[in-house]
Amino acid sequence: MQMDFSYRETWLHKINPSLKLLVVVILFIHILSINNINFIITYTVGALVLYMCCTGHSSKNLFLISIPFLFIFLTSSTSMIFFGKGDVTWFKWGLIDITEESFFRGLHLGFRGILFAILGIVFSLTTRPVLLFYSLMQQVKLKPKFAYSFMAAVRLIPIIVEEMQTLRYALKVRGVEGQKGILGFYNKLTAYSIPLLSQSIRRAHRIAVAMEAKRFSDSTYRTYYYKIGFSKFDVLFVLYFILVIVVSYFTSIYLPYFSIQDVRYFN
Amino acid sequence: METIASVQNVRLKFPGADSLLFRDFSLSFQKGEKVLIVGPSGSGKSTLLQVLTGLIPNSVEIPIKADDIKIPSSWGFLFQDPDTQFCMPYVDEEIAFVLENLQIPREEMQKYIRYYLEQVGLEFDDIHTKIQTLSGGMKQRLAIASVLALESDTLFLDEPTAMLDPEGTEEVWQTLKKVGKEKTLVIVEHKLDHVIDFVDRFILLGKNGEIIADGRTQEIFHLYKDVLREEGIWYPGVWQDYTEQHRRQTPKSDVGGKNPVLSLNHFSGYRGKNKRIEVENLDVFPGEWITVLGHNGAGKSTLLHALMDLIKSKGSYQILGKDANKIKKLSDYVAFVFQNPEFQFVTNAVYDEIAYTLQLENENPDKVSERVDGLLRSFHLAKQKQNHPYQLSMGQKRRLSVAAAIVKEQPILLLDEPTFGQDAKNTFAILELLDDLRAQGIAIIMVTHDINIVEHFATRVWYIDKGILVHDCAATPYVEAMNDCRLGGQPDANGLFLSRNMAPQN
Repeated sequence: MQMDFSYRETWLHKINPSLKLLVVVILFIHILSINNINFIITYTVGALVLYMCCTGHSSKNLFLISIPFLFIFLTSSTSMIFFGKGDVTWFKWGLIDITEESFFRGLHLGFRGILFAILGIVFSLTTRPVLLFYSLMQQVKLKPKFAYSFMAAVRLIPIIVEEMQTLRYALKVRGVEGQKGILGFYNKLTAYSIPLLSQSIRRAHRIAVAMEAKRFSDSTYRTYYYKIGFSKFDVLFVLYFILVIVVSYFTSIYLPYFSIQDVRYFN
Repeated sequence: METIASVQNVRLKFPGADSLLFRDFSLSFQKGEKVLIVGPSGSGKSTLLQVLTGLIPNSVEIPIKADDIKIPSSWGFLFQDPDTQFCMPYVDEEIAFVLENLQIPREEMQKYIRYYLEQVGLEFDDIHTKIQTLSGGMKQRLAIASVLALESDTLFLDEPTAMLDPEGTEEVWQTLKKVGKEKTLVIVEHKLDHVIDFVDRFILLGKNGEIIADGRTQEIFHLYKDVLREEGIWYPGVWQDYTEQHRRQTPKSDVGGKNPVLSLNHFSGYRGKNKRIEVENLDVFPGEWITVLGHNGAGKSTLLHALMDLIKSKGSYQILGKDANKIKKLSDYVAFVFQNPEFQFVTNAVYDEIAYTLQLENENPDKVSERVDGLLRSFHLAKQKQNHPYQLSMGQKRRLSVAAAIVKEQPILLLDEPTFGQDAKNTFAILELLDDLRAQGIAIIMVTHDINIVEHFATRVWYIDKGILVHDCAATPYVEAMNDCRLGGQPDANGLFLSRNMAPQN
């Protein structure tokens, strides 16, 4: 299926990609230290607002993308809810032991997972790889050698996808597709990986030679087609998350949804 | 005259090769020359270009020894594969990449990008266009634009049209003739049609990279025509020589009284939800050779995919009177050969490759080996039967892919541009093999761009335009109508067009 990935540019696209990456990484680390479920729920809502309103992608695509995240939420939270430790038992059936503590811890885990996912996807939906690498070269002084090899690799992805489709047809015609069992899986694996790898290695080599033929070198000075700087949107982005964190913090203290403040289980 | 590039006493050996590729090889080029280098595959043509530009050994590390190598002060290199010349996703970014390398200030880049695109005749509403959406010919012209951006006097062209259809080939050579007028050009090519009038020096290389001939184009071309033919070079007139030598008659298929192997009625093929190919009403008879023609993206391959049931289809599709939907294994009746033979290989040896389908069905081993040995012989692969398919040459890979496809003696054979990128010798070899199959009563349906195949091998033509099969007629009247039009002076770049009064067969 071909997804239409056209989008409208929003303020999130205009943020300096290096800064955006840095902020998201810092948020990731910060989230790991949150143990208050009230905190993380408000936090998630704050991130969700960005995902729903500000990425510039169609609501249909946003909905499709969110399906796997709901799945992550359900699986990570239910396993903790069903099997986690706790003292106040609500329900017990065989191995399943739902306690108050495990329930909230599970919920907390689910929210943490989905918050990670939302931040990550907001970043990738609003950042063009090419601009990210230009920004990394300009702001973080990433070596052009690495930046351009990544960009060249990104260019190869659609070609590989197309090739896989052709390969799938070819293997179906040859009867490889129909095989079952472990041997069938092994055959399929080699039938796909060897041609795809051999083509990709050849391509990568050719692109490398072509780039050097265009006088690409690892010299220290080069000019840039895209000049990437900072703008008011960067400030807005940072302020938005400071606001979300502050609001989440105070609601968790003064207007908590649940009376539990720390989901960790201490014995 | 000023020598612009030269090599003296080059010795070069590929790792793992048994012998030296070049042994004390010397050659020089003068400023402003237009040089064509021709030779069989493996004669080191591409390697020579890479040595002359310093790509070997600077970028590609291969052991090389030479008394002297003079590299042009500024050079550009145009490669064969349109998909592996670019490292950026958009047209403007790709040319900007070259400008960045040359440290052109950012403010001037837009101006330069537009200038170079105009030089190669590419026009876009928005220069921020995805490279992926361009045709092969347009991609190669973009590659020329980025080579021009290097502002070099010497251009090295390594089979720039080997992977293009006739339309793209024409475009690219027209562009090159225009932009290359003032420059030194060193060209490696095995399709000579478009270059021969343009180059003044002709160098013929032998199998081990030795120079067989070097001189004025017309002289060499006449003196060494036999060598060119022997090496499978596509020189102008190769088809004429071939047909005269083999006294080929245009095949006539006798369909009278036979039952159709394949019938379509209001048949259409879908990719996703979009209808991509539509056919009104057709019967295909044993012993027919149908060429499917049409522009790029018209839906030729899609038709084959629909016939092979690789994509969804609607309408009536019958094989030997049976409904195709009710046939459990369509591949028992229809064989399919893809454009890239490597994708079809699933085993580690040539013999196993052909035997694969039969072994899947647990056929009697004696029967299998008898059938496989027979095919190995008729496809000239017996000597290679223990080799890995990837080790074969281009022509051998192609023959193997056909042999492996037809092993079950299916009555219908579908081929997607089987002669694409093959040299003349391999092309004729494969066409002759297909013709034998046709004579045995197999119906062949083949996508091609080569009008010569239509003229000399096909019995019938289907012409597809914008996803609809618009013409269905015998090959001979099609070719005649085309020749008439050509004399009328309106040749289509693709060589594919129809006169209005040419009625479809049914």
